[in-house]
Amino acid sequence: MEIFRTFVSLLSAIAIPALILFFLVYAAFRRVKVYEVAVEGAKEGFDIAVRIIPYLVLMLVSIAIFRASGAMDVFIAIVRPLTDLVGIPAEVLPMAIMRPLSGSGSLGIMTETMQAYGTDSFIGVLVSTLFGSTETTFYVLAVYFGAVGIRNTRHALPTGLLADFIAFLAAVFFVGVLL
Amino acid sequence: MLNHIWLALIVIGILTAAGRDIHEVSQNSYGNGIPWMLQIESPQTISVYGEAVETSLRVPRRQLQLHFHETAAADAVIPARVNLTHAREGVAVLDVTGDVPQQFKIMAEALGSGETLTARLRHRGSGWEAEFDPVSLVYLKKVTNAAFDIAGVAVQIAIGLIGIMALWLGVMKVAEKAGLITSLARIVRPITVRLFPDVPADHPAVGSMIMNISANMLGLGNAATPFGLKAMEELDELNTKKGVATDSMVTFLALNTSCITLIPATAIAVRAAAGSSDPAIIIGTSFLASLTATIFAVTISKLLARVKMFRWDRSEAE
Repeated sequence: MEIFRTFVSLLSAIAIPALILFFLVYAAFRRVKVYEVAVEGAKEGFDIAVRIIPYLVLMLVSIAIFRASGAMDVFIAIVRPLTDLVGIPAEVLPMAIMRPLSGSGSLGIMTETMQAYGTDSFIGVLVSTLFGSTETTFYVLAVYFGAVGIRNTRHALPTGLLADFIAFLAAVFFVGVLL
Repeated sequence: MLNHIWLALIVIGILTAAGRDIHEVSQNSYGNGIPWMLQIESPQTISVYGEAVETSLRVPRRQLQLHFHETAAADAVIPARVNLTHAREGVAVLDVTGDVPQQFKIMAEALGSGETLTARLRHRGSGWEAEFDPVSLVYLKKVTNAAFDIAGVAVQIAIGLIGIMALWLGVMKVAEKAGLITSLARIVRPITVRLFPDVPADHPAVGSMIMNISANMLGLGNAATPFGLKAMEELDELNTKKGVATDSMVTFLALNTSCITLIPATAIAVRAAAGSSDPAIIIGTSFLASLTATIFAVTISKLLARVKMFRWDRSEAE
């Protein structure tokens, strides 16, 4: 585990400089006019970033309204009997529900939950595993589809949410085995 | 689907806020209009009138129960800056950032910055009578503020992306011109032809997707987004119905959102900061949980693509 961790963190640290160096030097050998071509590509960055603004604003506003209203407490009260039945601790429900909606919101919930129940308790390890193993599905969908102007997202959202749910069950299972 | 959930979040949010506010108004949850009876701690220090003094206010347990309709375990002692006049009247600015009853924090947030709460003081008998501005419709105000604030934040996020996007798209363009992206796509061909059957195996989109997923696995979020957005643009070039997500786009996003995590860097950092004895213990569990999720995500994306309501040939851009 320790060797794996050192290896991966080393890889993360050198990945970007190595990639830039390799791409540019290789291209220069192939007689590509590196600077001119890079500027050409960089121009697209502005367009894409501006294009996602309306999608991002509307998606984040709807999530912010949901969060500020405290509707999550109501939602948790509704699903709690179900999760109690399966044996999932109710303390991690806020995290499971917030994770796909908001990155900063779930970061806050992870910190609060760990402070309340201890970082190395079952609940503490479970919330941090949940945070570490899934992405903010709504944000990713808004940004990625927004960049190419997709309005009909078809089965993307149900797929993302089902995958989040599977990740949640898997986290409960693997943390249970570990601790 | 996204339409409905988006609308539902807004409707549920506003209705819940309105419901809570109506409940609080009917209960008078913040004791509006009922004067508070409290003590100024060490009043002898307030000998000079017309000058602010740092002290604290003691709010008796009974008063908390009377105003907040909840049993309180102890008196509340709240740090405050008190400014009195000769007529034994004055103003107290309460600092509610510390360990004070939750309601005071909510009141401070509803009436101003959220850090301080202003009370008008008047001498009465052996103590002081305090009065706050009335507080109402807390949740609806919170919802409004949150919506306006986040609208600004969203633009900041997008603007913040410009620099990093320009850098990576510049580097990517160079790699593409040199033929590197096509070579990369050719190497992973056996996997990608199965995952993305409608994308030609040496299409630049494949290279960008691989770069995105690799960056995500290593926890390099800043590099992952530009690669991912580039991949979406390239996938959209193959799209015959603009505005409709293709099967490949959905499978790619399923891979992206459930992405296999080698190092959950943020979670480990937060655990270390919170004083964990073994912050990195979650590496194994995160890896296994995300691996499971990724396998299911790809399978689910393939299965749902065949469901009637999501089928490609039945989907229009509206």
